[in-house]
Amino acid sequence: MTNFNPTILAFCCNWCSYAGADLAGVSRLQMPPNVHVIRVMCSASVKPEYVLKAISQGVDGVLVLGCHIGDCHYMTGNHRTAKRMPLVQKVLKEVGIDERRLRLDWVSASEGEKFQNVVIEFVDEVTKLGPNPMRGVKF
Amino acid sequence: MLVKLAFEERGADHLLIMREEHGNVAPAMISKGESADGVRLDIPYQLVTILENIYPWLSKGKIAIITRRCDEKALAELVKRKYVDEKRIVKIGLACSEEQIKKCRCNDPVPSNVAVGEPHEGMKDDELALALSKMSHEDRFNFWVDQYKKCNKCFGCTLNCPVCFCDDDCVLEDRTFVAEPNVPPGLSFHMIRSFHMIDKCIECGECERACPAEIPLLTMRKLLAKDMKEVLGFSPGDEMTVSPLNTSLEGEQLEDECDEC
Repeated sequence: MTNFNPTILAFCCNWCSYAGADLAGVSRLQMPPNVHVIRVMCSASVKPEYVLKAISQGVDGVLVLGCHIGDCHYMTGNHRTAKRMPLVQKVLKEVGIDERRLRLDWVSASEGEKFQNVVIEFVDEVTKLGPNPMRGVKF
Repeated sequence: MLVKLAFEERGADHLLIMREEHGNVAPAMISKGESADGVRLDIPYQLVTILENIYPWLSKGKIAIITRRCDEKALAELVKRKYVDEKRIVKIGLACSEEQIKKCRCNDPVPSNVAVGEPHEGMKDDELALALSKMSHEDRFNFWVDQYKKCNKCFGCTLNCPVCFCDDDCVLEDRTFVAEPNVPPGLSFHMIRSFHMIDKCIECGECERACPAEIPLLTMRKLLAKDMKEVLGFSPGDEMTVSPLNTSLEGEQLEDECDEC
């Protein structure tokens, strides 16, 4: 797939990752434009249902970004995310969707560069995986 | 015999069983002094589902219930969330027949105390699950899409599930989560249900028995149970009152779980 441009959804937590994304933008770091950022109050408020719904509607990849473990604004939010997301990946895997389409990572407010790297890597990976198989399925 | 065991020896006031009437078998509750004609023990049904529904209306007395191993696990899931008081339940262990074990591909069929039936050994593996786990992502995806295309969204799998607790606000009925309002409902319906069941499914197979489209739902549950064990080291039905579940943190009490899901 040479001309494949993946659509990627990034859930960024308000306190760290969204600020990190903002910093990346303000510092004019170059990033692929495939990522659509959605601001959520905490990575734990990303219901697994949202991720599953997005993927079943044809989104090619979902990024869930939160504060580093121990830095959560709500004390235990990202611990919960860290526990849930691997299970969501398993659900995807068993249905036959590559689990690499969902990625959980930690980006703090000062890590604009890390945000850039995560986005570049993820877009690269999803591009290699090709389009979401759900796109071709008509129910 | 069953009546004597439940009411006299175990001191129960009610007995939940499957009973045949006019050629149909349905769940029934027998109170003390009533006759127990037409009791059928060979029909598999998760009586825990019925128990869950009638429990709020039974403020007094002990309830005896026929428990296969899977019922026992389902009860453990209910008890740990404090939906049911364990002291009010009398378990009458029923060991499944070989034929039933084969149908359920069950690997853990013997209840902790066997009152009725001969214990048989469980099966090691589900063939379809094994075949699926060896497939490539693409083949597996095609397999499940073909299966799920048969779904007509009857909600049989949720209604008959003994461990589906959220009565009124099921996310599967909500447009916010299941985007496709049409029939068949698309993959999000099944993926969300899979995710919700992952930490409580006790592999009873009721969803598969209830499914009019004969989707191998139990196979999916078995695959996910294996993953769950791998990721969190926990099997649903383990009698733990502090949670290793996906909605709560290590060592947290299992009380308001449903508010989060």
